[in-house]
Parts: sequence; C-alpha cells; structure tokens
Amino acid sequence: MSEYDLAIIGIGAAAFSAAIKASELTSNQMKIAMIGYGALGGTCVNVGCVPSKYLIEASKSFRNAKKMVYDGMESSVTIDFNEFMESLNKFVETEREEKYTKVLKNFKNIDLYDGKAKFIDKNTVTVNGNKISAFNFIIATGSKTFIPDLKGLVNYYTSDNIWTIRKIPEKLAILGSGEVALELANAFSNFGSEVHIINRSNRLLKGFDDDITNELRNIMAKNGIKFHLGVDIKEIKNNKEKKIIFYNGTEQPIDVDEIIVAMGRQPNIEELCLEKAEVKYNHGILVDSHMKTSCENIYAAGDCVEQELKLETLAGKEGAVAAGNILGSDESINIKEIPWAAFCEPNVASVGYTEKELKLQNRDYIVRKIDLKNVVKANILKSNEGIVKIISDNEKRILGMQIIAPHAAEFIIEGVYLVKHRLTYDDIINTSHIFPTVAESVKIAGQSFIRDISKMSCCME
Amino acid sequence: MTKKVELRVYGMTCDDCVAHVSEGLKGTKGVLDVIVSLKDGKAEVLINDAVNPKELENIEVFKKPSHYKAQVRRVKDE
Ligand SMILES: Cc1cc2nc3c(=O)[nH]c(=O)nc-3n(C[C@H](O)[C@H](O)[C@H](O)COP(=O)(O)OP(=O)(O)OC[C@H]3O[C@@H](n4cnc5c(N)ncnc54)[C@H](O)[C@@H]3O)c2cc1C
Repeated sequence: MSEYDLAIIGIGAAAFSAAIKASELTSNQMKIAMIGYGALGGTCVNVGCVPSKYLIEASKSFRNAKKMVYDGMESSVTIDFNEFMESLNKFVETEREEKYTKVLKNFKNIDLYDGKAKFIDKNTVTVNGNKISAFNFIIATGSKTFIPDLKGLVNYYTSDNIWTIRKIPEKLAILGSGEVALELANAFSNFGSEVHIINRSNRLLKGFDDDITNELRNIMAKNGIKFHLGVDIKEIKNNKEKKIIFYNGTEQPIDVDEIIVAMGRQPNIEELCLEKAEVKYNHGILVDSHMKTSCENIYAAGDCVEQELKLETLAGKEGAVAAGNILGSDESINIKEIPWAAFCEPNVASVGYTEKELKLQNRDYIVRKIDLKNVVKANILKSNEGIVKIISDNEKRILGMQIIAPHAAEFIIEGVYLVKHRLTYDDIINTSHIFPTVAESVKIAGQSFIRDISKMSCCME
Repeated sequence: MTKKVELRVYGMTCDDCVAHVSEGLKGTKGVLDVIVSLKDGKAEVLINDAVNPKELENIEVFKKPSHYKAQVRRVKDE
C-alpha cells in the first residue's frame, strides 16, 4: 500500500491548484498522490473553457470579416472548417502540454495515478485494485454533461466531443439554454449555421435578473438565433440525412443536421463510494465555507461540490483554499465575490447579488440600469446593444452588477473589487476611467445614481 | 495527564531548521519535551493538559511568515 500526506482525486483545475498550493506551502515536502483518468488538466483545458473560447473567438473573427460594419468596406472570406478545427485541437494539445504536463514535472513530490478512485474508508481509496492511503484527501472529481432520457436521442454531440466535428452544420439544434448552450449557439451561428435553441425552461441562464436575460435573448434573436423556449420534446426521429424534433403541444417539428446536448452538468460523485468515508452529499458534495466535507480529513473543491456556480476560476480557488486549510490556514470563499461570464456576443457577465435574490431576502436596495447606447465606445464599435445594471444598498455600497456588453468578461473585474471591498457608487464616480472604452459604461452606470445621464456630456466626471 | 503528539513537519531542510522548530515547540506552554527528525519530517512532542494537541499546528514557528508547517498525526496518552 502506498502512503501519502495528501491524496487528490481528480486531475483538473481544482486538483492542480490544490496540488501546487500544498506543494508551495510545504516547500515541496508534502507527499501527494494525484488520481484521475482521461486527459491531464480535466474539463477546462481539454473540452471546456479553452476550446470553447478558441471556437467562439475564431467565429467572431470570421463573422466580423464577413460582415464589415463600417461604411465603404467590403470583404470576401472563406473558411476551411476542417483545417480550422485541426488548429483548435492542436492549440488545446499545446496548452495542455505547457500548462499541465510540463508543470507537473516540476513537482517531484507528486505521484500521478491513472484510474478511478473509490473510498474504502476515510483514509484509503482503491485505484485499479491498488490501495492508496493518505492522511488528508481533496476530492476534485468535476462534473459531466447531463443527458436527458429522450426517445430517439441517439446521435448527438456534447461539449465533450463537439471538438471532433469537421463540417459546419447547415441547421443545428442546441438542447439547453445555459452558458455552454449560448456560447456554442453563438459560435455556430457566426460560422453560418441556422441555430435553434430548444429548452423546456422559459429562461436563458441561471442567476440573472429577467430584464438581463430578456435583453440577451432579444439581441441573440436579432443576430439570427431561433429560440424555442418552454417547449417539451416528445421524440426525435432520425433518418439518413436529418434529425426531426417533435414536441408535445402545438410547436411545429423541426428538422436539423446536428444536435448538441447542453442541458447542464452533474457532479461526478456516484462512483466514489462516499458513504465509506462518511462524506455527505446531495446533488454534489456538501462542504462548509472552508471546503471541508462532513469528514474531518476530507475536503472537496470544484464542480463536484454542491454550489451554484461551475467555473474554472472557482474550482482553482477552492482547490487552493482547501490545501491551505488542510495546512492550518483559515480561508473561506464568499461565492458572491466570484465573477461569472458567458462569452457569447455581446458578453454577459455578473458578480454579487441580483435583484431577485435581494427581494427574496427582503433587503432594501437601489438599482440603476443604463443602455449601452449611452457609451461612446460601444457606438464606435457599432455594438451598442446591451445593459449595465448596478445594485447598491442604502449606504451606496455596491451589492451586485450585471452587464451585457462587448468585452464585459474583461471588465466585470471592476464589479468584483467593488463588491469584495464594499465600495460605493461614489467610489466608481470618483475613479477615472479610460475614455473611450466599453468599461467606461460602469462609470456612467455609477453616475446614473446621482444624476440624469441623458443630460450629461460624455466628458462629465 | 501527559500525551505524546506526533507532528508531521514540512519545510525543514537542515539542522538549523530542526533547531528552530524544536525551540519553537519547546517554548510553548504545556510542552514538556520535543524530538524533531529531519529525515522523517516529524516531531514527537510530549505535552500536558495546558495545551490542546491541535493548537501546536498554529504556534508562532508554524505561522506565516515562517515557512514551516505542521499537522497533528497521532495523539497517545502516556
Ligand atoms: C464547454 C465548457 C465551457 C466552459 N467555459 C468556461 C469558461 O469560459 N470559464 C470558466 O471559468 N469555466 C468554464 N467552464 C467550466 C470549467 O471548465 C469547470 O468549472 C472546471 O473545469 C471544473 O474543474 P474541476 O477541477 O472541478 O473538474 P474537472 O476539470 O472536470 O476535473 C475532474 C477530474 O476528475 C477526474 N475524476 C472524476 N471521477 C473520478 C474518480 N472516481 N476517480 C478519479 N478521478 C476522477 C476526471 O478524470 C477529471 O480529470 C466551461 C465548461 C464547459 C463544459
């Protein structure tokens, strides 16, 4: 039996972050086992953030080149989609090699095990029949795509294998309306597919106020994406060329070339035998704010945890916090300080509380919302559809921010500092922003708390 | 009642480190005796009721900016 100071179950973002932090804190003296299967780096680098952002950015570049937005310009562009997808996969390989495979080689204190771990007690797991024991554990087993039980749903892509597609589908159905669905919809629409977003729920995204998601839906619909929300799929019939989607109710069937299932993700926990280690779980593993599970020596981090957000940054932070706390720190995570973004065009991003949440908690708040048409840079970019919404308490402190705008994912960080450090809208107004930028929209939204911005010149500080 | 606490100690690389960690532990209220092993990265600490074994993880020598870290592994009544 191999014995370790720490065993980490998983080889993704949460696991790597935990392993590196634990190594740093112990001058690489902590003996660590990292256990996992599949490609090193887990979801983010292989089938998540990295390929999806490569795909969406390339698709924007293609669309922008095809549809020049400034007068007097014309272009003709072509795409070899097969060659493009080969380059995407090469990029993923390089990132994995540089950011994971090579990084791990710096840590002689970490042993990598290929396989699935199952607990046999709170200090021992088995991997391919071999026992590994450790004084401390961090579970970082991530999540997997949820596949609905739908009659005829047999031939489909998910975010795990869409990277193997080599032909732009003429007509594409995406089942789901969360961030993965919206990003893929946007990307394929930019490449020229007719994209249909289909979902039983009436809403796009979770964790946003309805005015934001309604605006996003309107913008995406104007850009050509077709929404079928609040519908119930009865069955899918497959013939040689097409997949035909039939609904319960009055909605007309549609035929498509390809289907992508993106209906959310479920924590990977059922194979871990968590009962043997007395680790409690619901849909995901239950942890306290220090990432500790119901078992004293076992922590959990990342997508396998029961929590409202699934993000690479959050997984990484939780892994580092878990490792630090195992080694005597007293760190916790406030989920309301974690920013979130979807990279569809325009981006949608948020941090902190929504109006909906504050209403549920019966808390007083003040809200201001500005239209992106008030932002000169958005007008210059000819991409001025969007909203900046800021919520403050009665003492002017910022409680939350939701943005639909180009580059919102880049500048939501201003909201993070405001929420985290309990700053006020006066702090926004008294801080110079660069003119002209889309980020300046945050300053204008801040100013809207104290004056009528329709009577304000753009140089007004 | 006295107890023997086994601590896993990280960050020691030389005899000076051993001396530093030993002194830190010995200077703690309730600590009666200390044996530190560089090779095993461990310390055996004899304590009385004046200190809770878990508190040893957070004594000065194991706190930032010190780069030594400790974790209680076993506690035995003596
Ligand atoms: C298409 C897509 C796009 C995304 N885009 C973004 C984005 O832009 N920004 C962002 O912040 N987040 C994004 N995410 C989310 C992000 O990828 C995840 O939140 C993050 O990767 C989760 O990391 P993790 O370490 O928790 O899990 P993972 O990276 O999934 O790693 C889990 C690991 O555990 C291993 N494992 C599972 N079960 C066992 C077992 N029993 N024994 C041993 N090993 C096991 C698996 O092999 C895997 O390696 C995206 C996700 C998807 C799917």
